[in-house]
Order: sequence, then structure tokens, then C-alpha cells
Amino acid sequence: VNFVRREIPVIITIVVGFMFLLNNLVTIQVGDMSLATSVRELSTWVTIVSAFAVGLASVNLMRIHARNVSRQRDRWWLSVVLIATFVLFTFVGVLARTYNVAWAVQFNQKLFDNIQTPLGSAMFSIIAFYIASAAYRAFRMRSLEASILLAAAILLMLGRAPIGEVIWNQFPPIANWLMNVPNNAGQRAVLIGAAIGGFATALRVLVGMERGHLGGE
Amino acid sequence: LEFIKKLQSIDSRIIYAVVLVCLIVPMLFPIGIPLSIAQNTSSIYEIVEALGPNDRVVLSLDYEPASSPDVHPQSVAVTQHLLQRGVKIIYVAFWEAGPLFAEGLINNYTDQYNLEYGVDIVNLGFIAGRETAIRAFGDDVLNSAPVDFRNNPTASMPIMAGIRDAKDIDLFITFSGGSPGVLEWIRQVKDVHNIKLAAGAVTVSVPGFIPFVQSGQLIGLLAGLRGAAEYEVLSGNPGSAASKMDGQSLGHLAIIVFILVGNIAYIAERRSKKSE
Repeated sequence: VNFVRREIPVIITIVVGFMFLLNNLVTIQVGDMSLATSVRELSTWVTIVSAFAVGLASVNLMRIHARNVSRQRDRWWLSVVLIATFVLFTFVGVLARTYNVAWAVQFNQKLFDNIQTPLGSAMFSIIAFYIASAAYRAFRMRSLEASILLAAAILLMLGRAPIGEVIWNQFPPIANWLMNVPNNAGQRAVLIGAAIGGFATALRVLVGMERGHLGGE
Repeated sequence: LEFIKKLQSIDSRIIYAVVLVCLIVPMLFPIGIPLSIAQNTSSIYEIVEALGPNDRVVLSLDYEPASSPDVHPQSVAVTQHLLQRGVKIIYVAFWEAGPLFAEGLINNYTDQYNLEYGVDIVNLGFIAGRETAIRAFGDDVLNSAPVDFRNNPTASMPIMAGIRDAKDIDLFITFSGGSPGVLEWIRQVKDVHNIKLAAGAVTVSVPGFIPFVQSGQLIGLLAGLRGAAEYEVLSGNPGSAASKMDGQSLGHLAIIVFILVGNIAYIAERRSKKSE
């Protein structure tokens, strides 16, 4: 049982991992079979498995909220709203996408344009107010480092907002320098560090040393 | 001293109210603050200007309603410019909401530009699988999207004729609200197939993508709503993004004023304590 549960997934990981890795480096063709074709086929499998994952997540979401309603947990009525919305969007979506029913196609687009998009946009826009309040409280010249951060933030805001250029035409070049030199250097350091770390982790997974993704240590 | 202390802890509701007024008033009464164009924006504009009616561009709409206020105006501005140039547009999405944004754009412009679906424009829909799906799309476009969002087979569409992999497409632009997005497109399609790739991103993500612009892996980068406004102005189609720039300017100014007030009060209090 242990072999099936532990070793077979590791063997699959090693074989598939090396197939993807080799496909980037060499061309292997044996008769009608080629490594590139096999890798392409496996990529399609990922799409199919991912689609199933979306279905599984939907079922799980419904189970959790149905339980909230049946046990009348705190704010259970919010779960009712979620379930009703889910059923409505799914029903209209299936009619529109699978059966191409004309009214459903239009209604589906209207639901998206007039409910989902404005609600999502509103949530995103609220961040602006929190940022304003948080910036006012957090940006204090308590130390040299905090003062440098504060100066960079103000210069960048003035350089990026059109009004900054009206106040002084040198704000945009200063903001560009901040983005292209200090920011770029920091971002590159982070990216290269993360890439080396990612490569080391990938190698450990490939040779079966890293088994965290299988639930092991 | 009491007043100075108060200036250090202004009620959040006052800050919210001032920012709200600064955002709304310029939308109702536009000021018309001039807008300069960033090099990263004009790079994309110039590439699109060089395209013609036989060229095909993939626009990957990788965002959701929450990030759409920052990114969707970019898709609108670029779509309009491409259609003015007569370039064929292939929409695809690796985020679930992308296809509905694409449908909205197609519906908006079909009559205006006399578009024939499947010939001038197509919506390939959402492809599940995140980064792996992006790689699969770059390696084999038709196999990744055998049917479009409207359930039509893509292989028989004139717009898809002759397309095997990413190299057969003239330009890719990913509009990204997060991951999967710009980074995945760079490492799975740009670097593998050596294609022309540009990007539009939410403002907060832009600093992270600057190294890829400098390395040439991205030929241009639209930075949030401001990037969309710049593109609208450049392409001669001032729209919703440009009209919001005055509000963004005054909003930024209000935040800066609050920060300065807080710091002046903080320094004044520290000095008075020292003198005591």
C-alpha cells in the first residue's frame, strides 16, 4: 500500500518532470512518436484536470454553505444569497454556453456587466480610501529609513499623477529614475534569488527528495 | 500642543470624505490636466501602428471584475486602435472572467467596425490550467482551443488559418490582473517561441515588471489606468480612462497633503517635547 501511495506518485513526478525538462533542451523522435507530442498531450491533461478542480471547488462551496443554512449558523442568510446567486449564474451560464439559448446569452452578459463587474470594481475601489488613511498614519519620519521611504513615495506619486508635472516638470524624470534604477535593482535581486530557489526546489522534486506536494515531509 | 496632536490622528472618516470629494468633483467638472506619454506606452502604440489588415494579434484578457477598473480600459483602448488599423483580433483568457469581457468588447465594436465574427475577430474563451495552459496555447494554439467561446470549431475559421503555434501570430498582449499573467507569458511563450510580447498590468504590479521591459522581454508596458489614458490620448480616442485622470491627480494630491500634515505635526510635537 505504501509503495502505491508514496513511490508511484514520486515515479510519475520524476518521469513527467524530466519529459518536460528534456522537451525544452532536445528533440527526441522515435518513429511516429515524439517527445514534443507527448508533452503537448500531457499539457492538455492538465487543462482537463484543472477544469475538474473548478467543478470540485464549486461542489465543496455549495456543501459548506448548505450546511451553514441547515444549521442556521451566524449570518446564515448570507449563505442563502450565495447559493441563490450560484444557482442563478450556473443556470443562465449553462443555458447560454451549452445550449446557446439566445435570451440566456444576453442575460448572462447583462448579469456579468451589470452585477458582477460593478460589485468587483466597487470592492477594488474601496482600497483607495484605505490606502489614503493608511499612508497618512504609516508614513512618519521616525527614522532615516522611514524618511527615505516617505520621500520616494511622495516623489513617485507626484511623478506618476498628471498634476505633478504641472507643479514641476522634473517630477516625472525623478519618478522614472526611481522606477528604473533603485526599483529595478531591487526587483532583479528578488527575481534572481527566487529563480535560483525555484530551480533548487524543482530539482529536489524531480529527483524525489522533496515530497511535500504528496503530503509527506 | 493639543491641536498638533489632533493633526497626527485625523479621523479616518474625514480622510475618506476628502478623498471622495477629490475623486468625484473632477469627474463632474473636468479640469483637463495635460497628460505626458510614457515611453513604455508609446512602444506598444508604435508596434500596433506598424501592423496591417493581414496581421493577427492575440489579446489575453487575464483579469477579473475586481481588477477591471485598472486593466479593462487598457483592453478597450488597444482593441479600438487595432480595429482602426484593420488588424484581426484573437481574444483568449486564462482567467474565468476574461471571455465575458471579450464578448462585451466584440458586441460593442461589431457594428461600428463592420466586423465579421470568425474572420476579423474571435473569442477563444477561457482555457483552464493556468501556467501549463499558457504553455500549451503557445505550443499548439488550435489544440488548446478546439472550439471558441460560442462553441464554433476554431480549425475552420478564416482568422485561425495557418496558425500552428505562437510564432504564427504577429503580436501578443496580455492584460494582467495577477497570476497567471505577465510572468507566465514571458517564461512559457515569449522565451520559448521568441514572439513579440507586450503587457498591460494593474498599477501595483508594474514595478515588478520593469526588469522585463529593460531586458527587452516585454516590448512595452501599460501601467494601470494611467497607461490606458496615455494610450487613449496617443491613439486619438480619449475615453473613460483619460476622463478619470483629473480625479486620480487630485486624489494623489490629497493623500500627499495628509501625509505632509501628519509629518509636520509629528516634527512639531517632537521639537516641543525636546524644548520642554
